[in-house]
Amino acid sequence: MTPLLEVRGIDKSFGPVKVLHKVEFTAYAGEVTALVGDNGAGKSTLVKCVGGIYPIDDGEIHFDGRPVQVHSPRDAGELGIEIVYQDLALCDNLDIVQNMFLGRERRRGPLLDEDSMEELAERTLSSLSVRTVKSIRQQVSSLSGGQRQTVAIAKAVLWNSKVVILDEPTAALGVAQTAQVLELVRRLADTGLAVVLISHNMNDVFAVSDRIAALYLGRMAAQVKTADVTHAQVVELITSGRSGDLGLKNGVTP
Amino acid sequence: MISDSQPLKEPQTMRAGPSQEDIRRHNLGALLRHVHLGGPISRAELTSRMGLNRSTIMALTSDLTAAGLVREELPRETGRAGRPSLVVRPESARVYVFAFDVGPDRLAVARVGLGGVILDRREVPRDRGRFKLDELAATLSGFARQMRRKTRADTVCVGAAAAVSGGVRKADGVVTFGPNLMDEEVPFGEELGRRLGLGLPVSVGNDANLAALAEHSRGVGVAVKDLIYLHGDVGIGGGIIAGGHLLGGHDGYGGEVGHMVVNPGGRACGCGSSGCLEAEVGERALLESAGRFGAQQGRDAVRAVVEAADRGDIVAQEGLKRVGEWLGLGVANLVNIFNPEMLIFGGMLREIYLGSAAQVRTQLTLHAMAPQRDRLRLRTSALGDAATLVGAAELAFAHVLSDPLEVLARANA
Repeated sequence: MTPLLEVRGIDKSFGPVKVLHKVEFTAYAGEVTALVGDNGAGKSTLVKCVGGIYPIDDGEIHFDGRPVQVHSPRDAGELGIEIVYQDLALCDNLDIVQNMFLGRERRRGPLLDEDSMEELAERTLSSLSVRTVKSIRQQVSSLSGGQRQTVAIAKAVLWNSKVVILDEPTAALGVAQTAQVLELVRRLADTGLAVVLISHNMNDVFAVSDRIAALYLGRMAAQVKTADVTHAQVVELITSGRSGDLGLKNGVTP
Repeated sequence: MISDSQPLKEPQTMRAGPSQEDIRRHNLGALLRHVHLGGPISRAELTSRMGLNRSTIMALTSDLTAAGLVREELPRETGRAGRPSLVVRPESARVYVFAFDVGPDRLAVARVGLGGVILDRREVPRDRGRFKLDELAATLSGFARQMRRKTRADTVCVGAAAAVSGGVRKADGVVTFGPNLMDEEVPFGEELGRRLGLGLPVSVGNDANLAALAEHSRGVGVAVKDLIYLHGDVGIGGGIIAGGHLLGGHDGYGGEVGHMVVNPGGRACGCGSSGCLEAEVGERALLESAGRFGAQQGRDAVRAVVEAADRGDIVAQEGLKRVGEWLGLGVANLVNIFNPEMLIFGGMLREIYLGSAAQVRTQLTLHAMAPQRDRLRLRTSALGDAATLVGAAELAFAHVLSDPLEVLARANA
């Protein structure tokens, strides 16, 4: 199986500080790949390199088997890579439809084509089996944390995206809303998207992921199938970069 | 309970094969099943899915339309050139069944329209005392009568079925064991049918078995032929679907995964054995290991443990971890034996799995064989708390889907 997204040997430094060392990372269509690592391990930097926010110093990004250049978030969007950040980047004073089409509004002549935007928003939400939102003309300020997360994810899916990267989508949520978001994450992958889930919560990671990629001090310690590892092994990979035969040897990728 | 939905094609030479009438009945049922499970669908789409020619599809839909089971409408907008194909819709508001759910601590009744639409629903708590047939049947039939009084004159009830937490004998639908029910024979369907007074038999099935079928026909397991559904309520039930069919066993008691022994000599189980999956993972086990037994019970109590664990309560976390480990061990055994494509956590096990997935999957990695676990998909129920009720409704619709015109004629008579 060819990975949909493949990162080969990425290096990234901020001035004298090297944050990513020859990082390899893959994500497959139809799967959830969990990206785990301690604070400062380089998870967010890696995602921002893929999303075109940071230029990479060295290495390659392959998309659907061919090498691509991602110089800006627009490049990433055109490839079909969408990132949902922790702050969600939603506008409180706009409704759900307006948020989903923000900056990419549909027009009919000089006017906005409200009907078609509404229909598409509705169809996207129902394709994700989202039933928790009462009206799609509701202002985002009136939504709960879980509903906001849902809208942010639906916004990412709306643009025929192929890879959706979610940065800690359950971090600020209660149990019931976390369950809904995790089920949504799983459904995204089941509809054929490649989903990358950044999370610190091991239950969330084990509940929905097919693969786990563990970063340790800017290096990819290991990328494994979730079905082949135990909780203890993943914790070791995160905290020490190795676990038995898995992971880094003498602090470097074998 | 799941019958074949492939249409029969007319053989070239008719020997001892099915008669014209058999074929027509089968095809009517198959078409109705497509509309019932898949929702509104165009005639053109039906033609290609059923592999029958256009005029046959037209004849079948007009028979079903005349009977009032479906209606045909022009689609809103196709965006394509040419004459649009008519869309066939189920008459959900007109044709309905009654679905009953007898859980260990709740009773539910729903009026469910063709196409699986829940039109009306009532629910009351049930105390955990003895299984009192008279009282249960009176309550359930009372709700059904109230709902029926509110319906329009042109509606028609075509079936009724109940999901019961307990063992249901295949031969006669008699409930033979359940919570606080041992060594008794309860003719539940018969009694409920008599009290309903609709002249319809009430089919009865095990709740977890029916929920498994529900997830298979309209939930997360659509198109998955080999799946295992685990249902957590007070105890643990299950339904095993192998090759598209529910494994009922010789007497119909199959799938009682809650009584698989995972911890010999472990906690005492209500069934008389010890160390059953249900004894180690059920409600009581979770509440006791979280130090909360006796304070509160039922689904809210289980949810409270998961929430406390999430907020950092270490006793609740330990309890949930322990339960997750036993659950994972049970799942590993099932995966090794049945090699399912999908395993679904339903009822309270949805919350328990999401809250202890690290433990569940660790046990799976340690104890399930690599080829079986490699492509296994672990999922949570898509139908949630309605799974058992939806399963009962599907059981009630089974008759009308196997012989639509005959059943409708009888219901109208």
